[in-house]
Amino acid sequence: MNQTPDITPTTTTLLIAPAAVLMFGVFVLPFLFLVVLSFWSQVPGSLSLDTSLTLANYVRIFTDSYYLGGLWTTLWLSGFVTLICLLLALPLARWIVLHAGRAKGLLIGISILPLICGALLPTLGLVNLLSPLGFINGALKSMGVIQSSLPLLGNITGVTIGLVQAFLPLMVLPLINTIERIPRDYEKAAMSLGASPLVVWRRVLLPLMLPGIVAGSLLVFCAALTAFVTPQILGQGKVVTFASLAYQQAAMVLDWPFASALGIVMLLFLALAGLVGALISRRLARGS
Amino acid sequence: MKRIACYAALTAVSLIPCLPAFAQDYSGRTLVVGTWGGDIERLLKEHVAGPLEAKTGAKVEFLLGGSGDRLSKMVAERNNPTMDVTFQNIYEAPSALKEGLVVAPDAALVPAAANVWAGMNDGCYAMSLVGLGIAYSKAVFPEAPEWADLWNPDLKGKMAYAPYPSSEGDGMLAVAARIAGVDESNPDVAFAKLAELGAPMLTYSSLDEVLTLMDAGEIAAAPMISGYVISNLENYEGIGFVFPKNPGPVLVRDMVCQVANSPEPELAQMFIDLALGVETQTAYAQQLNFGPTNSKVVLSDEEAARVINTPEEVDSLLQLDWDYVIAQRSDWTDRWNKEILGQ
Amino acid sequence: MTSRFSKGLMLAGVIAILLFLLAPILVLIFSAFDGGNVFRFPPRSYSLRWFEEALTHTEYRSSLWVSTVLGIISTAIAVGLSSLAAFGLVRGKPSYRLGLEVLLLAPLTLPLVVWAIALLSIYAQLGINGTLPGLILAHVTITMPFAARIMIATFDEIDPRLEAAAKSLGASPWHVVRRITLPLAMPGLMSSTAIAFLVSFNDVVVTTLIAGAGWITFPVRTFSRLRTEGIDPTTIAIAAMIVAFTIVVIVLGQRLFQLSRRF
Repeated sequence: MNQTPDITPTTTTLLIAPAAVLMFGVFVLPFLFLVVLSFWSQVPGSLSLDTSLTLANYVRIFTDSYYLGGLWTTLWLSGFVTLICLLLALPLARWIVLHAGRAKGLLIGISILPLICGALLPTLGLVNLLSPLGFINGALKSMGVIQSSLPLLGNITGVTIGLVQAFLPLMVLPLINTIERIPRDYEKAAMSLGASPLVVWRRVLLPLMLPGIVAGSLLVFCAALTAFVTPQILGQGKVVTFASLAYQQAAMVLDWPFASALGIVMLLFLALAGLVGALISRRLARGS
Repeated sequence: MKRIACYAALTAVSLIPCLPAFAQDYSGRTLVVGTWGGDIERLLKEHVAGPLEAKTGAKVEFLLGGSGDRLSKMVAERNNPTMDVTFQNIYEAPSALKEGLVVAPDAALVPAAANVWAGMNDGCYAMSLVGLGIAYSKAVFPEAPEWADLWNPDLKGKMAYAPYPSSEGDGMLAVAARIAGVDESNPDVAFAKLAELGAPMLTYSSLDEVLTLMDAGEIAAAPMISGYVISNLENYEGIGFVFPKNPGPVLVRDMVCQVANSPEPELAQMFIDLALGVETQTAYAQQLNFGPTNSKVVLSDEEAARVINTPEEVDSLLQLDWDYVIAQRSDWTDRWNKEILGQ
Repeated sequence: MTSRFSKGLMLAGVIAILLFLLAPILVLIFSAFDGGNVFRFPPRSYSLRWFEEALTHTEYRSSLWVSTVLGIISTAIAVGLSSLAAFGLVRGKPSYRLGLEVLLLAPLTLPLVVWAIALLSIYAQLGINGTLPGLILAHVTITMPFAARIMIATFDEIDPRLEAAAKSLGASPWHVVRRITLPLAMPGLMSSTAIAFLVSFNDVVVTTLIAGAGWITFPVRTFSRLRTEGIDPTTIAIAAMIVAFTIVVIVLGQRLFQLSRRF
């Protein structure tokens, strides 16, 4: 890719400055406050803070398998949800762009419906479908496929279904944008040169879709990472996630220092994952 | 535009000197009240905010959310509060007072507070009395259960709880301790006894989730707070609610607080006075099944049966040492997560 | 034959995915017609009472209005600022590009409640707690990551040679942006606008803590009675109407867009 800038450094700075300043003031400053907070502690049984510096919150997280386990579950769950969303959204987005014709607007509308109603209401709808007495178990039972109800709520299965349903739109929209921009004849040209569909996907389509895939995956991953309502309701309190832990500590126990430390440990894990990912992709790039 | 015109009109009215105007004129000023949405907001608007606006010319605005949200808000903006009045849970009021976030209850400032049952204005003013009783599935319990009946081994894992920390959770721990022959100051015994009920089938975020499953008999019972459950019994034929006897229901109170250093202290006191008044308290009892704290309220027998409203009833209630419970909050939350939910 | 078969399979898959997305919302729409007092599916009796309630309930109406206004203002700012920044990052290729991309994504990785409490503490120190500008800034911050990510992907995919060609033919920079870049970026702009608006419209956690009393949004109102009284069926009827309205707007919008292209 061409590495020379297309606009002057001054223009670049002017374009970026407003967003950067806003992020600094409204996000970075509170974030720095949280970093400091995470080294303070809550005086037990009171609402006041002990401002002497301590590592107690971090020690508590790293020595307690309950919290580490919750963070770890959330990490792999978010990754898993991202993968499923990608696998579902790729064919859906491609079909909508190539074959939907006049129904395109309608289909895009349907595919972003879960975003339109917020997290709560579709989740309650899902509870009705997935519950032991719900539509899915009822249908399977009456067809004789199963004898007793499948447990679809209160476990990882239910939470995964809910998160995929809630965040699929975040994958579909960027992919539709990307696919719309790929000239149709690329695929035909590759096919006419004798490439198999698999090769066409791997060598032509996927590389062209990469920016959309990256955007969609990052959005779904982060959204799943901090989702609160969906895992809470579909997990029925039995699936421990990052957001539910942070919410419990921040808003119910009012132990803000510990809640901040939880957030910062998760960021450390993410940074580590990003670093490992970058190293692997560099090695792969060198290998090929 | 309309609003400005309105203010202008109000100001004009207040400028006419010979008008036998309000005792003190508050037109153009706004009182901010933090509370729950739904019926509570509706009743407060009707019986408190409306009359107050008519009397003073001030405007009353409601800030909606949960009581935990409001406590967080008070702590975060303690130097510069935006709320004047806030409704809190029983266990939040004493610590809010200790932190200096709220003004101590005082009948000299809020006359109606003198009519509140003795000892109830703890931290803030007592707004309503409710009890933690048992909501149960009639399919599982043909007759109303006692607390001890929940420990039937056949029902293990068929309970539903509210998210912890909450007055429901703390109340249930206290009950478990009593069943085991001790009280909540012995948390090891309390947690062990409660763990015998198994991990709950459901930790509910909304009333609908638990009531639907209980109606169908999937959930056997849940420790729940009387008011809203009793109001919902007409919608679910399969659900009953009982105030057990041994131990009695756990007393839970909604509190109304005057926020310290708030912009409108006098309006806040007038608001609280109306909220504690006979009219509002009666409406709460009749429409929400919330027990009045005002001893002057008179209810019909039918209404009285659904609420906690007499000193004798209050005496029969199990009252927790909230100062102690609050001090254990962080520790008990860990234990609840691991020993009750994660067993 | 095989291609026909695989096309059929594909169609079946697409329909299945759409049904999966649609099913929980269909449950809501059906239960909005229930005649009872509580959220129930399938409905036992049918009535329009919750729709009537939704149309006459002044509190819900004003909350919906607040959500809409807040969403429009925040989205305009978030999409505007992040489009400029994304264009600068992609075309200017500054050395700090990766760092800024991470920063623009970072608000998505913190639990909102923790961040909102810290923000409120700072607002209270500055004396802007409970004000509209404070609330808008908070909403811009939670929507910007979505808009920025999509706009970065969008500009990454637009070939800068198209802009260079137009420039070499003597077009002014403004003309290039208006005639080349903006039309090419339009699908990305529309996606980020849609997502940013919906994220802002549906936010509960941040708004509950940051908003002042005059700015009670629809989701905040819905959640503020969830734990105490449960779901108000009126809310479900409103959601059903929002869904219908959005679908109509999207379909009509697309038709108009296609018509306008013909001329």
